[in-house]
Amino acid sequence: MSLGFCFQSSFSANPILLFAGFESIIHEFDPWFNFRATKYLVANGFYNFWDWFDDRTWHPLGRVTGGTLYPGLMVTSGVIYHALRALTIPVDIRNVCVLLAPGFSGLTAIAAYLLTNEMTPSPSAGLLAALFMGIAPGYISRSVAGSYDNEAIAIFLLVFTFYLWIKALKQGSMLWGALCALFYGYMVASWGGYAFITCLLPLHAFVLVCMGRYSTRLYVAYTTWYALGTLASMQIPFVGFLPVKTSEHMPALGIFGFLQLLAFLDYVRSAIPSRQFQTFLWLFAGAAFGLGLLGLVIATSAGFIAPWSGRFYSLFDTGYAKIHIPIIASVSEHQPTAWPAFFFDLNMLIWLFPVGVYLCFQQLADEHVFIVVYALFGSYFAGVMVRLMLTLTPVVCIAAAIAVSALLDTYLSVKSPKPEENQAVEGAEGKKAAKSGLKATNKPVVGVYTTWGKGMIVSALAVYLLLFVLHCTWVTSNAYSSPSVVLASRLPDGSQHIIDDYREAYQWLRQNTREDAKIMSWWDYGYQIGGMADRPTLVDNNTWNNTHIATVGKAMSSSEEVSYPIMRQHEVDYVLVVFGGLLGYSGDDINKFLWMVRIAEGIWPEEVSERAFFTPRGEYRVDGEATETMKNSLMYKMSYYNYNNLFPAGQAVDRMRGARLPEVGPTLSTLEEAFTSENWIIRIYKVKDLDNLGRDHSSAAAFERGHKKKKVTKKRGPRVLRVD
Amino acid sequence: MRLLTLLSLTLLGFGSAPTLAAAKKTPEERFQHYHNKALSSAPLKLADASYRELTSAPRDYSVAVLLTAMDSRYGCQLCREFQPEWELLARSWTGGDKKGESRTVFGTLDFGDGRDIFMSLGLQTAPVLFLFPPTIGPHAVASPEPIRYDFTSGSQAAELVHSWLARHLPDRPHPPVKRPINWMRWISSLVILSGGLTASYAAWPYVLPVIQNRTVWAAVTLVCILLFTSGHMYNHIRNVPYVAGDGKGGISYFAGGFQNQYGLETQIVATMYGVLALCGINLAIKVPRMTDPRTQSVALFAWSGVLFVVYSLLLSIFRGKNQGYPYSLPPFM
Repeated sequence: MSLGFCFQSSFSANPILLFAGFESIIHEFDPWFNFRATKYLVANGFYNFWDWFDDRTWHPLGRVTGGTLYPGLMVTSGVIYHALRALTIPVDIRNVCVLLAPGFSGLTAIAAYLLTNEMTPSPSAGLLAALFMGIAPGYISRSVAGSYDNEAIAIFLLVFTFYLWIKALKQGSMLWGALCALFYGYMVASWGGYAFITCLLPLHAFVLVCMGRYSTRLYVAYTTWYALGTLASMQIPFVGFLPVKTSEHMPALGIFGFLQLLAFLDYVRSAIPSRQFQTFLWLFAGAAFGLGLLGLVIATSAGFIAPWSGRFYSLFDTGYAKIHIPIIASVSEHQPTAWPAFFFDLNMLIWLFPVGVYLCFQQLADEHVFIVVYALFGSYFAGVMVRLMLTLTPVVCIAAAIAVSALLDTYLSVKSPKPEENQAVEGAEGKKAAKSGLKATNKPVVGVYTTWGKGMIVSALAVYLLLFVLHCTWVTSNAYSSPSVVLASRLPDGSQHIIDDYREAYQWLRQNTREDAKIMSWWDYGYQIGGMADRPTLVDNNTWNNTHIATVGKAMSSSEEVSYPIMRQHEVDYVLVVFGGLLGYSGDDINKFLWMVRIAEGIWPEEVSERAFFTPRGEYRVDGEATETMKNSLMYKMSYYNYNNLFPAGQAVDRMRGARLPEVGPTLSTLEEAFTSENWIIRIYKVKDLDNLGRDHSSAAAFERGHKKKKVTKKRGPRVLRVD
Repeated sequence: MRLLTLLSLTLLGFGSAPTLAAAKKTPEERFQHYHNKALSSAPLKLADASYRELTSAPRDYSVAVLLTAMDSRYGCQLCREFQPEWELLARSWTGGDKKGESRTVFGTLDFGDGRDIFMSLGLQTAPVLFLFPPTIGPHAVASPEPIRYDFTSGSQAAELVHSWLARHLPDRPHPPVKRPINWMRWISSLVILSGGLTASYAAWPYVLPVIQNRTVWAAVTLVCILLFTSGHMYNHIRNVPYVAGDGKGGISYFAGGFQNQYGLETQIVATMYGVLALCGINLAIKVPRMTDPRTQSVALFAWSGVLFVVYSLLLSIFRGKNQGYPYSLPPFM
């Protein structure tokens, strides 16, 4: 009954908040690609989807999409769509996609309920965990309607896989282990974060073994999960043979082997006398360790095992990404987490979390060890990378629910103990208490004597919980339910004003350009252009080819003479830039520009230099003091072209960076302005064709402006494309 | 007028020395001379005259010169940090190329020895690394001007500079950087390791109860969790300052803005989380186990009071970080 309520509340809270402000729309960047892929799946069937080669992205390379994505999300919504159709419920695939995330957040709440119930006998803990899970902002960020992202279903799969693992471990059951492997396979098919499970379960097993808790239950659960789960994960083309090759999967494989050894030793111990067993054990352990290490070294040096993949490596050596892979460091979700972000996403759960973990130490059965390990690991990774807050949220909700339920169970009971009885009991039982537990819990529970004390704690808790709900509602409606495609701002009189430049520009592209016109933009907008404008792009958010991205970075950060051949070679028809100077919009391309420079510099250190974009005093400026390289770069020119004309002479101001711009704006000779959106957020330029008279573009443009043509004495050869 | 004479004087001074020197020796002889010198002590320690002779215009070899200021008076931190790397690079390059096939000479010019060169080049900062490519011979380049190495990005390892050199000297041998084996470090780590092993063997009976003590593990776990959830990793990665001034001579404990924080700030927050968690633990575990009604009432009142006040303080700090956050609790409204 109450679970149903929790389920409903978590399901219904989100869409209402969303639809209050905006129409049904897909959010952000990645969801646009997922939506496009889902449409393709529904239209062409599963096998065509599996073999899908997408020639409309990464022009001119194309992308083997079927083999380079996690298909779980698309297949899930495809199945739901076809099931509803089979039930003769007419439904649009877009609505399935938009409402998938809130639907799965309800399932996540149920999974959290089940997992918490495995941890504590108190029935209220599970309900509280489901409630927390349903409304914690850390998870709502990914479960609002329209957030059609892999994480939408992955968090449910994560929690449910953990639940099945605990179940399998407790019962030593092969059936539960197989179910766990099944959902693990589903998880692998859905999200790259599956590596979190792949590392956490072996770690849990390892900690249990170290605590001397090896048992046949553990053996059965782990080996069933590992064997079946690895087979399942290898069915995904994108994952393929990674589980036996890359280092992040090695702990799981290593623990698998280790458990086999332990099982073997266990068998030998039951067969031979203990004296001989000691000798045997030492020899055996030494040999196994030596052989394993040797094998690992040989396999790594011979190249059978890939080195740590960059994204994973950057989690441990935190300075690594900044030096070696700027493309990873440039993503805002990969930044480390400051403390306000934790409090913002979890509010009071953040301090209830340690309480719950401490309570887990009280009993410390196998499943409590899991919570402790998960808590430690999850909080470390959440601290390193903002987006991994998502994997921390479930354990925070569970631990906090255990803590709150322990408090409520103690202080909400009507029965009060009598002082005299306990005084007598104390002497008898004081010394008997178990030695292994926590020091604090050696004494028996007495209960709370005073009714006012109970009332005070319960009412304080009620206030905190109410505050938590208010906080979650506030955060969700303010931060997470506005799609970044549509910006909301407040007018001076307090009314809401919708800024819809992105969709305006994409609509323009859709209606005014050829079907196969290639659009060059920074990779952030690739998925949106592909999804909303339906035009081929050079690079997009699936950042698999660093060199290609660096090519775009070079074109943006070089002068026109260098950029033009690059754009011609890539058959670029239009260039799209995002400019926030008029509106004070911070997410624009000038602010991202240094990352383009850095990424380009990583490939062409001779031609692009980050240093050249800083003034001698080390400032990044866009006004009259900006460096020549900055002023001549294509990005600068495209952003500020014609911007002066908006203002009285000499008063042009960039409101984002608070800079007064030079009186004479930049000139463009190889591009012409094609479109600028209402608030100047999106600017689109058309790449000019080669000049009819064989002049180069700068002299042609100078001629148009009315400058006298310089006398050219040298006879020109046939017109050729300049190749750098 | 005076400026002009000064300029011409400088030009004369700059121009005359190399012509004199160049008149004496051919580029080939110069290279052999300096290469033989370098074989015994690379990089060469240059002075005004030798710098001019080595880098004078018709040359069929490359010169890499580091212009540095090692004297402690100039307080050049980067110069001192880079010097051992530079020496390592020069030594391993020259040592790996005894026959001079790469035709590259490494030299160092200190500000103390070559003040005039620094002046004539108009250098304001140090260190500066110049690579003079050959002007004649098979690898000649069009411009005799040196190529300047960019010292901007952080620490400079010899390998980075090596790859920069290799990029600018194509089709020539690039002897790799050979780092000498750090015997001291190996020996000391071996000693420390064996010492540690012995100590742990001796202390094992005393350590074992601590390792197996559940309370110790609980405490360590909670401290780690508090560290991570209060943004310690952010400090570690971003190297944020511990505290900063508020511009009025005082100390500002909390950084402005949602995405910033100071070291001290995270410690304050971690402490507050810790206090809140401690209150929660005591209320959940300790208080209901107290047998004396009076003590229990006092403890209950105290812990819940502390909880309330600290949570209120935490909310007010968060409001400072996130303008527009609407919720608060008394007393810190």
